[in-house]
Amino acid sequence: MRPARMNKIRAVILDEKVDPVIRQLHESGLVELYDLSAKLEDPEWNALMLPAPSAEYGRNVASLTIKVSRLLDLFSSVSEGEKAGLSGVLNPKVPAKKKLSFSSSEEIISNVENVLESVEGEVSEPAKKLAELENRKTILETLKDSVKYLSGFDLDLKFLGEGSYTYIVSGLVSQEDISELESSLEEATEGYVEIVKGNPVNKSEKEQKIPVIVATLKQCADVVGAELRKSGFERLDIANVEGTPSEIFNDTEKELLSIETETKAILENLNALSKKWTDEVLVLHEVLEIEKERAEAYSMTGKTDRTHLIEAWTPKKHVKKVQEIIESASEGYAVVEVSEPDEPVEKIPVMLDNAKSVKPFEMLTEMYAPPKYNEIDPTMMIMPGFLIFYGIMLTDAVYGLLLTLAGLVLWKRMGKVSSGAYNLGYILTLSGLSTVFFGILTGGYLGDFMYQFLGMDIYTTGFALVNPLGESTYISAAKPLLSLGGIDVNNGPMAILLFSIVAGIIHLFIGLTVGLKESLANGSVLDAFLNQGMWILLILAIVATVVTGNMMIAGGAVIAVIALCMIKGFMNGGILDALLGAMDITGFLGNVLSYARLLALCLATGGLAMAVNIMAKLLGDAVPVIGILIAVVMLVFGHSFNFVMNGLGSFIHSLRLHYVEFFGQYYEGGGKKFSPFKAKREYTSN
Amino acid sequence: MVFENPLLLGAIGAGLAVGIAGLGSGIGAGITGASGAGVVAEDPNKFGTAIVFQALPQTQGLYGFLVAILILFVFKSAPEWAMLAAGIGTGLAGLSAIGQGIASAAGLGAVAEDDGIFGKAMVFSVLPETQAIYGLLVAILLLVGVFASPGVTTIAALGAGLAVGFAGLSGIGQGITAAGAIGATARDPDAMGKGLVLAVMPETFAIFGLLIAILIMLGIMF
Repeated sequence: MRPARMNKIRAVILDEKVDPVIRQLHESGLVELYDLSAKLEDPEWNALMLPAPSAEYGRNVASLTIKVSRLLDLFSSVSEGEKAGLSGVLNPKVPAKKKLSFSSSEEIISNVENVLESVEGEVSEPAKKLAELENRKTILETLKDSVKYLSGFDLDLKFLGEGSYTYIVSGLVSQEDISELESSLEEATEGYVEIVKGNPVNKSEKEQKIPVIVATLKQCADVVGAELRKSGFERLDIANVEGTPSEIFNDTEKELLSIETETKAILENLNALSKKWTDEVLVLHEVLEIEKERAEAYSMTGKTDRTHLIEAWTPKKHVKKVQEIIESASEGYAVVEVSEPDEPVEKIPVMLDNAKSVKPFEMLTEMYAPPKYNEIDPTMMIMPGFLIFYGIMLTDAVYGLLLTLAGLVLWKRMGKVSSGAYNLGYILTLSGLSTVFFGILTGGYLGDFMYQFLGMDIYTTGFALVNPLGESTYISAAKPLLSLGGIDVNNGPMAILLFSIVAGIIHLFIGLTVGLKESLANGSVLDAFLNQGMWILLILAIVATVVTGNMMIAGGAVIAVIALCMIKGFMNGGILDALLGAMDITGFLGNVLSYARLLALCLATGGLAMAVNIMAKLLGDAVPVIGILIAVVMLVFGHSFNFVMNGLGSFIHSLRLHYVEFFGQYYEGGGKKFSPFKAKREYTSN
Repeated sequence: MVFENPLLLGAIGAGLAVGIAGLGSGIGAGITGASGAGVVAEDPNKFGTAIVFQALPQTQGLYGFLVAILILFVFKSAPEWAMLAAGIGTGLAGLSAIGQGIASAAGLGAVAEDDGIFGKAMVFSVLPETQAIYGLLVAILLLVGVFASPGVTTIAALGAGLAVGFAGLSGIGQGITAAGAIGATARDPDAMGKGLVLAVMPETFAIFGLLIAILIMLGIMF
């Protein structure tokens, strides 16, 4: 029930043999490397060895990674629009793993280079062509836009710009400025200017501009340019073209069309290439990523003249294997030492170690916080409580069945590629089964669907144990379940409330007992008594009261516990804390009453399902002809909504009962998770 | 006091249950929705997450709706004052949705930054719902006729509804604490345990309210 016990492995390895050792440790994924760089700053260590740099080949790997990523970007940009679809999401394809085994980084790098060369040999030509075409397309589009404004002119545009004697420029001027511009140009050039105006064009909705062509003497180009700038003249950049504006406009359009078809052909070509090569390139990418991790691992080691020192954490059960790996990979040129953890508890990595059937629930523990190394692992204790509470809160056999199916899809299908989906799917499947069980127990099948639409009252038949909203064959005013201090437990809600409180007290009792054991192991008997012991006694006193019917026992215990709480508060910090300590009892009461949410949420699911049924029935009866259709739509939407809302609510409230009430008794958490040095392989295998 | 139509007070109760709880849920869902709109503008893929968080403060409205249906259709023969009290208690306690909306908005903001915090943000965001659950609990206890004391059949029943209802407003305070705790947890995942302890504190008052409501229903009055 504790996290896996850890050992520290320390190995001194001959320089030449380090690489295979790191390689094989990475493949095995059994250790977490310990970063020595901080330790090596210590002068005593520093005299012995220096921190090692990352491996040399890391640089080559990095530059190759950039190339490979660029190819992947290109491939993903040309194969857009091929979405996987819903069936793809629900039944994801597990990539076939390519078997590759390399013994050294040189081998990998040269292999990657070879493959890259052949891929690039096929891809780079069309990719370059595509870039060129795109470039040309932008140029043409700008030209087309400019020329469009000049469509009214009948002038060969090759004359634009500086000639042997003249300077001709085209552009747009706003309507108000035109006359002013004309006069100022006239003045500046002493009349050696010719301004030809075209028809006004709309540049945007508000702006009306007039296209103009201004011709002047070459000598006047500078003054004309200055005047034009002053007047807000928008120059149209047209160069290296021949023909009238309309001719050019038509030509560019034609060329754009041909570019379009050419681009399409190239894209098709690239798409085919991407289909052919993507898998291969993904393999390269993964191989390089793995190689990069290895290169970086070097920087965690220490280095002397001829050796490297590697330190690593490994679970006790793997120690033998790790030792063998190091010794065989280094061909004996290594000294391995195994020791018990020599670091403070907070620094020892924590690996939860549960049976396969419990393992997915580790997700719930880790969501709160992984345990500290010396703390208890609560996963095993979460599982039964979580499932029971979930089932009671959702309590509907049909909803439970739906949840089981959804859970199975997540677990068996999507779980193939995602561990998160696997864990959640497993939890939901079991929660669904629990819900079916409690649903049958309380006769919930889409709420009271059978009663509303089929006229069958399941609670009079004896098939349902409890009726959450009233009486059943087994529990009714005539046949009370039991009498407690003047209150008869004679109907469903009371029975479920009683169950909730009893379940809560048992749950808290388990938590307190575990906490007591922990406190006794770690501290004094007095602490254990004040933190957990007295609450256990209080619970026992309450049980004794219920059994004997003597209120004095519970009353006395409550007074004693309040007194103890005050003493505890006084010991911690004087009178004020003592007064606050007296409030602890309400905290305990609050914990117990908090479990009453089991009843409330149980009724909420059944009650809302009933509300949906009632409304559907009302609609079906009230609306003529299409009433049945509306009723069916109401049922489908209403029940889906209720299922999702309460399914979610039950999940979080069940979690809350564990995190707040249950963990509060014994669990703190806050350990550092074991993160193995492990090659992540999705497309390859070793 | 007996009215001509015993369902008269029940109808007022049903109206208050749906009305006040709906008010709370509307404001709460609005607060979360505003945060959600901002998040979705940044990253359209977060739409589903935003919907899930926005669903949380809506449950109070559903509890109000549920109690209204129970009053009008199922427990029509419950004592009239009990029906009114059930409606008022559920309605007022439903205002905790405002606090839940604040917490959910913070949770959604944290998840927008870091997907991994989804579960934790969810747990914090659900804390202020306890108040509404206590309201629902008292309403059901009032309606099912567990108790036959004067605390249920007379105007005293209103006291029970008011106790659990107004104490349920502590959910607003709890929501604010939970929002702060989500921020702390987003920065330091280890802060979750302590954040939970702080965030559960305001619930004490809801428990006081629940206790007094139960005492009134049991008829333990001086």
